[in-house]
Amino acid sequence: MTLPSAFGMVAGMTTAVRATDVRKSYGKGDTAVTALAGVSIDVEANAMTAVMGPSGSGKSTLMHCLAGLDTIDSGAIEIGGTSVVGMNDKQLTALRRDRVGFVFQQYNLLPTLTAGENITLPLDIAGKKIDQAWYDEVVAAVGLGDRLKHRPAELSGGQQQRVACARALVTRPDVVFADEPTGNLDSRSGAEVLSFLQHSARELGQTVVIVTHDPNAASYAGRVVFLADGLLVDDMADPTAQKVLDRMKAFEGVL
Amino acid sequence: MLRATLRGLVARKLRLLLASFAVLLGISFVSGAFILTDSLSKVFDNLFATINAGTAVTVQGVSAFNSNSPDTTDREPVKQAVLDRVRAVDGVASAIGNVGQPVTLILPNGKAFTKAGPPVLGLSYQDGDPQESLRIVRGTAPVGPAQALVDANTADKQHLAVGAKIGVIGNGTRQDATIVGIVRFGPTNSLAGATLLGFDPPSAQKIFGIPGSWDNLTIAAAPGVSDATLRDRIAAVLPPKVEAITAAQSTKQDAGQIKQGLGFFNTVLQVFAGVALFVGMFLIFNTFSMLVAQRSRELALLRAIGASRSQVNRSVLLESLAVGLVSSVGGFAAGVGLAAGFRGLLNALGLEIPAGETVIRLRTFVVCLVVGVTVTVVAALVPARRASRVAPVQAMRESGPAEDRSLRRRTTVGVVLLALGTAALISGLSNGSLPLIGLGAVVSFLGVTVVSPVFARPVVGALALPFAKLGVSGRLGRGNAMRSPRRTATTAAALMIGLALVAAISTLGASAKKSVVDTVATSFGADYVLHTSQFQPFSPVVATNLEKLPQLSSVAAFTQGMANVGSAGLSSLQGVDPKQLQTVLKLKVLSGNLDGLGEHQLALSKQEASNLKVKVGATVPVTWAKTGTQSYTIGAIYDINQFAGGYLVTAADYAKNVTGSKDIVVAIKGSPDATPKAARAAIETAVAGFPQIQIEDQAEFVRKQGQQIDQLLNIITGLLVLSVLIAVLGIINTLALSVVERTRELGLLRAVGLQRRQLKRMIRVESVVIALFGALLGVVVGIGFGYAFVSALHDQGITQFAIPTGRIFAVLLAAAFGGVIAAALPARRAARLKVLDAISHA
Repeated sequence: MTLPSAFGMVAGMTTAVRATDVRKSYGKGDTAVTALAGVSIDVEANAMTAVMGPSGSGKSTLMHCLAGLDTIDSGAIEIGGTSVVGMNDKQLTALRRDRVGFVFQQYNLLPTLTAGENITLPLDIAGKKIDQAWYDEVVAAVGLGDRLKHRPAELSGGQQQRVACARALVTRPDVVFADEPTGNLDSRSGAEVLSFLQHSARELGQTVVIVTHDPNAASYAGRVVFLADGLLVDDMADPTAQKVLDRMKAFEGVL
Repeated sequence: MLRATLRGLVARKLRLLLASFAVLLGISFVSGAFILTDSLSKVFDNLFATINAGTAVTVQGVSAFNSNSPDTTDREPVKQAVLDRVRAVDGVASAIGNVGQPVTLILPNGKAFTKAGPPVLGLSYQDGDPQESLRIVRGTAPVGPAQALVDANTADKQHLAVGAKIGVIGNGTRQDATIVGIVRFGPTNSLAGATLLGFDPPSAQKIFGIPGSWDNLTIAAAPGVSDATLRDRIAAVLPPKVEAITAAQSTKQDAGQIKQGLGFFNTVLQVFAGVALFVGMFLIFNTFSMLVAQRSRELALLRAIGASRSQVNRSVLLESLAVGLVSSVGGFAAGVGLAAGFRGLLNALGLEIPAGETVIRLRTFVVCLVVGVTVTVVAALVPARRASRVAPVQAMRESGPAEDRSLRRRTTVGVVLLALGTAALISGLSNGSLPLIGLGAVVSFLGVTVVSPVFARPVVGALALPFAKLGVSGRLGRGNAMRSPRRTATTAAALMIGLALVAAISTLGASAKKSVVDTVATSFGADYVLHTSQFQPFSPVVATNLEKLPQLSSVAAFTQGMANVGSAGLSSLQGVDPKQLQTVLKLKVLSGNLDGLGEHQLALSKQEASNLKVKVGATVPVTWAKTGTQSYTIGAIYDINQFAGGYLVTAADYAKNVTGSKDIVVAIKGSPDATPKAARAAIETAVAGFPQIQIEDQAEFVRKQGQQIDQLLNIITGLLVLSVLIAVLGIINTLALSVVERTRELGLLRAVGLQRRQLKRMIRVESVVIALFGALLGVVVGIGFGYAFVSALHDQGITQFAIPTGRIFAVLLAAAFGGVIAAALPARRAARLKVLDAISHA
């Protein structure tokens, strides 16, 4: 397969996150498990990219490594042109705070804070001022204007995830990583969250990477990359749910 | 079910460790106190048995007040004639007379030896007599009043070698002497730290002003004569008011006094152990509550698969039983070490404790076990009941620990408890019942604990506001401290107890100090006060000398002694010239005529008058040690005055009824014609021969009184540190369990960019705020208790109420510091969490 080298060649594209030959394995000796066996990827800025693959393919590990949540054995990772490899905990924490946004599958919000406080939490931590215009735009986009004073326990699962999305965007990060953001939601709530992420890439110019195993979720992205056994195996532009599903079925056939 | 319990215990052993450590600490105090006092009482039994080994019978004056002590104050000396008569009794192998009384030692540098604690005793030394308990280890036996022996311990500590020049003041004037020998007391260097000075018998008699008399006689029996037989034979020849006792009886009598002191010491330690255990119960309660809450799904699963409520309840109680057993046994063992530590402390304080075996009685073990297990299981009763109420359906629900529901019932119960506790406390204070005071305090503490979650949220929120202003860590910490008011409140309540007691005692102390200042200002007219460091009696010669000085306008010499006064029993009486008294003391006479107080007349305070239900003119029987029962007429009744005390007689009357009347305080007013400087110089010259006497003007007197109060406060505060320490353990435990509970939250915070440093600060803020809340509760409750104490002691002379702001501030500061310390470990643990692991924490 010749694809990896071609990924960065799209004309006029700016790269938000760049990974070069990233390798990562867990354990030692005979019991070592290779999670990433040399992955290279350029994540296009101001667009939504989906990482797909069957469970065990290494897609979550890739995301964790790209986001500076996990260390790699070899290779290089840059976020917004800054190398992440070799950063200490303090630098990584500052990186996550200022330049990366996160949406996890569940447990995204602090129960003691209101929705509004949860959204501004990264700014609070950094001691930065709120860009009111941007904040208003983000809040309007997630459609939670009337719920900002509520605590997470008083919000539905979909609302909670939308608050998490707003929190991820509020610092205008170089990239937002969403790890199975709709995994715990019913289909309608899931669609709302995905539409919002798509909107934030298309209209607000944010870079979004979502990790998912749901072809429907992947179809919201402008590009889908497929991971299997720790390697990038395919790249698809302008996906539809059907195309993605067919591709996945092909994998299963292969495997 | 048993197996599930035990498995659970092992799985949670770390979380239970701190809780059991709290019980362990408390129990170690219980165990240590018992072992120490048992060991010491054995040591003294042995010591006195050794000393009395050669003695079959002791002859002494009958105690006037039936006090079972060998003290000479209420026993008349035994005449030489009695000794002669005893020597002639059939079966007496030998008999000697002994003298032993407190003296003042003047060191070679001319200063009086004024050490608080063990007394300085002057003893007769019978050279060559096998019954003598002093053994010369260096030097020779003393001959004449100018030669003395000193015990090895004092010789060592005060650098008194043979040849050193010392002075001794017994009853009367100073006797200069040279040390000719160093002695041991029986097998030890000293008698429990007492300083011993030995003289030949006639010199000892002279020093104490009892020429030709003895404080007691010790008699050795001829072979084949039993102690009891000899005692009876000797008793037959004794004059009235002299008694004979066997060696066994006198050993019991000698050791009795020391044992009484040890018993008091034991009681004090046990009270503090009790406080510590009470605080420990909060820790147990909190730990089990949190564990039950965290395990609610597991418990629900057990219920869902068929475990009954009582089985779940029992499994939690069984867990607490195991914790109780382990910590009791551990505490008992730790007590052995603690006892050794206490012993070292006593030695360091100068109470020379003879070496001896460590006595561990079965009783100690049983008490530790019963108390430790009971305390733990009782504290776990409520959490166990809560565990049994977990509904099986909760196994299916996705939810964290449930928060508190209705606070209304809690408020009612808390307020009722608080009211009951306060009532018990007040009634206990008014009739002086210690158990009732203790019960009242305990119930009040429980009441405050129950009700405190109701206002924990706003108060904690307010306390944490300054931290929240400082940054995100403060805001997050504040939120965490406020999110579970019940947990915050119970954790804080544990700290409240120790600090409330500190605050109460400090309030009492501050009030006492203010009262002294006030009393001195309003009712004390003396310019100077003379007394010795421990208020030991001194020669009336001092006052006689002072009376001659033209620079002084009045000299009031106070004597003090004990007598039985009517139905009031053994009481302290002061003998003083009424006219002089009223020049130095603004005493308010309520009825009668104090100036005209004469022989066989008694003046008493309003309080004692109402106690005895007497008015001026009534008669009261007064029993003196020397002269027996006599009828006294009430001459005057005066208002309560700390310096006048309960009863006054004239100095002349007092002197007639005691042997060798001595003064205890001399209060002086300077002449208006002399400058204060001149008056003071004159006094200093007049008392130059009595270096043990301190001269204080009003300000110094007040300051010294304050210092004594502070000293006592510091000791009590020191002992309460144990309970505060346990409460800090409680904060650590709560925070550690919270960190586990909030693992995912912590992971999320780290993921969105909270630095480790900020995370630690967040936990520190939570900890400090909990500690401050506890301290605040403690200070408020403590000042309340202090107010109750002060009101109850109004008649004892504590007339003023003062809040010790300095100490209160120090308590709050110390609590905040304790919070910082408590946060260290949980914060470290939280900061070490790996972000990814934490986020995916189940």
